[in-house]
Amino acid sequence: MAHAYVPEIATDREGNEHEVQGWQDDFYGGKLGFWLFMLTEVMMFGGMFLALAYYNTLHAQDYIEASASLNRLLGGTNTVILLVSALTMGLGLLKMRAGDVKGAKLMIWATIILATAFLVIKGFEWRAEYNHGVFLGLPAMQPGNEGSLPFGKILFFGMYFTMTGLHGLHIIIGIGLMIWLLKRINSEKVTPDHHILYWNIALYWDIVHLIWVFVFPYYYMIGGGDIVGGVAHGH
Amino acid sequence: MSKSYFDETHCAIGHPKSTFMQWMLTVDHKRIGIMYAAVMFTFFFVAVATAVLMRFELFAPGQQFIDGDTFNQAFTLHGVIMIFLFVIPGIPAIFGNIVMPLMIGAKDVSFPRLNWFTFWLYILGAAIAVSSLWVGDGFADTGWTFYAPYSLNTGTNVIQTLVAAFILGMASILTGLNFLVTIHRLRAPGMTFFKMPLFVWGIYATAWIQLLATPVVGITLVLAILEKYFGIGIFDPAKGGDPVLFEHLFWIYSHPAVYLMILPAFGIMSEIIPTFSRKEIFGYRTIALSSASIAGIGYLVWGHHLYTSGMADIAKTVFSFLTFFVAVPTGIKFYDWVATMYQGKIVLSAPMIWALGTMITFAIGGLTGVTITMIGVDIHLQDTYYSVAHFHYAILGGVVFLLFAGMHYWFPLVTGRMYNEKHAKIAFYLNFVGFNLLWFPMFIAGYYGMPRRYFDYLPEFQIYHQLSFYGALIFASGLIMMFWVFYKGWTKGEKATPNPWNATTLEWHLPTSPPPLENHTKVPYVDFNPYEYHHGEPVVKFDYETMRRID
Amino acid sequence: MDTNTTVNYQVERKRYYKVLVGLLLLTTLTFIQPYIYHAATFTSQMLIAVVKAWLILMYYMHLKGEKLIGATVIFSLFLVTVFFVIVIGIDVPNFQNATESHITSQVTDHAANTAHAAH
Repeated sequence: MAHAYVPEIATDREGNEHEVQGWQDDFYGGKLGFWLFMLTEVMMFGGMFLALAYYNTLHAQDYIEASASLNRLLGGTNTVILLVSALTMGLGLLKMRAGDVKGAKLMIWATIILATAFLVIKGFEWRAEYNHGVFLGLPAMQPGNEGSLPFGKILFFGMYFTMTGLHGLHIIIGIGLMIWLLKRINSEKVTPDHHILYWNIALYWDIVHLIWVFVFPYYYMIGGGDIVGGVAHGH
Repeated sequence: MSKSYFDETHCAIGHPKSTFMQWMLTVDHKRIGIMYAAVMFTFFFVAVATAVLMRFELFAPGQQFIDGDTFNQAFTLHGVIMIFLFVIPGIPAIFGNIVMPLMIGAKDVSFPRLNWFTFWLYILGAAIAVSSLWVGDGFADTGWTFYAPYSLNTGTNVIQTLVAAFILGMASILTGLNFLVTIHRLRAPGMTFFKMPLFVWGIYATAWIQLLATPVVGITLVLAILEKYFGIGIFDPAKGGDPVLFEHLFWIYSHPAVYLMILPAFGIMSEIIPTFSRKEIFGYRTIALSSASIAGIGYLVWGHHLYTSGMADIAKTVFSFLTFFVAVPTGIKFYDWVATMYQGKIVLSAPMIWALGTMITFAIGGLTGVTITMIGVDIHLQDTYYSVAHFHYAILGGVVFLLFAGMHYWFPLVTGRMYNEKHAKIAFYLNFVGFNLLWFPMFIAGYYGMPRRYFDYLPEFQIYHQLSFYGALIFASGLIMMFWVFYKGWTKGEKATPNPWNATTLEWHLPTSPPPLENHTKVPYVDFNPYEYHHGEPVVKFDYETMRRID
Repeated sequence: MDTNTTVNYQVERKRYYKVLVGLLLLTTLTFIQPYIYHAATFTSQMLIAVVKAWLILMYYMHLKGEKLIGATVIFSLFLVTVFFVIVIGIDVPNFQNATESHITSQVTDHAANTAHAAH
């Protein structure tokens, strides 16, 4: 970022001066640009929800049963973890804006740890599902085999692994971004006066959380009724 | 001799000394636009060659020299290159980059390094797509629309092409994002939205489509890739999936995509018509708002590609109505352009005759689109040569012709030289005659039932194919001549002044031709409308040292 | 618009914690909803999610007070809604060939009922 950027002045016919907005040092522009990028994420996950809902309408009963077989305890824990991580991220940004750089870095570390915990728990969930024969590429997920699931459940789990997988990928990217952010803070490229990068990464983390706010109830809760859920239940 | 943007540049990384590295690393929007043009036209000619190959094969019924499978790969290659590598990046990548910032008085786009990165992302996507020709079973043979379930089951390189299309889609999204922020943030002081040139309005509306529609096809392609690779079963009926869902998701993007193609082209028309009528454009506000409404309503009409898919009848009716509706803003533009020309002092230079020719060809393309908006008619004409002729008249005879018009118009701006006017006109007539001879017979062939994407056909259709073949030869020679005219112009042409057309918009008020690296000497204050003419002469005049008005 | 150099740390911090409490309460509601109001699980869950999303957007993402960005968010959400309404609201319930289709539920439910119990 060019910290020494001096904006141009344009003069109108009456002699009044107007400051010209340049592409350098444009905080609002950076914010707008990142929001526009996040709208693409909304459209992308929106498309996936469309496919999910499409098959839900065709196979309502299968969906309810498949949902009930997911581990609500682990999924719910992840929901709370992600929620708290959104807070730590926001608090970190707030501290940076108020001048507390050290506190901001601590908050970023807290977010990274929570994000990693999320991934670990998700890993346990997936492993349990894999051990139960439910995973991409396994025979239960292909029709016409000995233990094949019905169509609705194949579609449900196909979308489940796709969406939680892509969501997990976004979390991994988020962790990478946070580590990069820490480096930029250490090299004083991100400061209380120049924090657009931090602002945008916090927005990114919020949207990762936002997606989970919809993914969790749609996959885990529509099977409703039993709080524990889990792989052992119903199988 | 003052420096132009060819002599010096800003780079994304470091300060390279070699000219080659300066081009590879440049963040200057003008150079990036030129590089896009160079790559895109190379691919364009590959796709044209593929098309000529198909025309040769289709000259007579039966196999001439390529087999059916190869033919399928040929029309897929033609479609993928033309759509994803040429027309969709299209005018925004070339003239959106070169001209738009100049028109709003900006020094560059809002995110120049992102612009540089986006260009190389485009190159990566293009390389992945084209390299699939030589990998495994060769290029995909599904048609550029990759319909399930065939695309999921064929052994040709579908995954690779889908990955390429995804990457190209990302490039399109990032370009749209960059332009949206640029137009919102970097307009010269005083330039409100309704003082922007109409080309900028076109780019703006297009950028919204690039941003919001492309992710939907992005995710569709990802789902298709995952399905092919992991056998998930989202679109494959053998696994309970629904191929019509693929069609829905695919066309939710691909229909807005055609508006993404035509809106910048209409923007070019709106620049050329007033300049060569020496008159203020008629109905500025209606043209501006019609661009916005085409972008908005265009999201709601995708179902007209699914009339024969088994979609619900109510849905078909809704889509038919909305599609008729979206034709209205385009009609408004046409009336505005004609009204602009009325009682103007028409100058028939090369850009103008391209624009006028396009008014004819796009009118045919657009109106034939309206005929197949009628559900009953489309049941008969879907997937025949009628559709093929319709979209080639609209895309080739609309978007690409206007791209050519823009090239003639902004040639002196970009290169600092002028081409030979007489030769340019001859090239136009070759193109125009060849184009119509190539495509018009297809309307008739389609009406009589000639299916599209067919490698062989009944003898009764042969006459149409033969006419098209001769048209293709004439058209191809017109294209070659046009590029030769540009080449001669750039290398040996007369030096041009900064404003050879005596136009009014800001890109013509630069101190030198070609423009300097930093564009305008100083950003002007804009308290005027973009097309102010008085008795055929521009009203607004600038002192180019201070960029203050002296009229 | 420029960097907010004057940020009221205490006020903002309290606001973040208040929103956290709201979100935690709504999450609890998400879990107990199937027991206290079993009838419309899908709708209730989505409604709760929408309220959570609104809180996150307005306060954590600072969307409150942003005119242009707010309008763009609303426009894209509108588009997604339209896609849902047309594809799932209008098309799915009225498939042209639903009775002959190999993938719609009257065919697959039958198949599921006659297949082995495993799920």
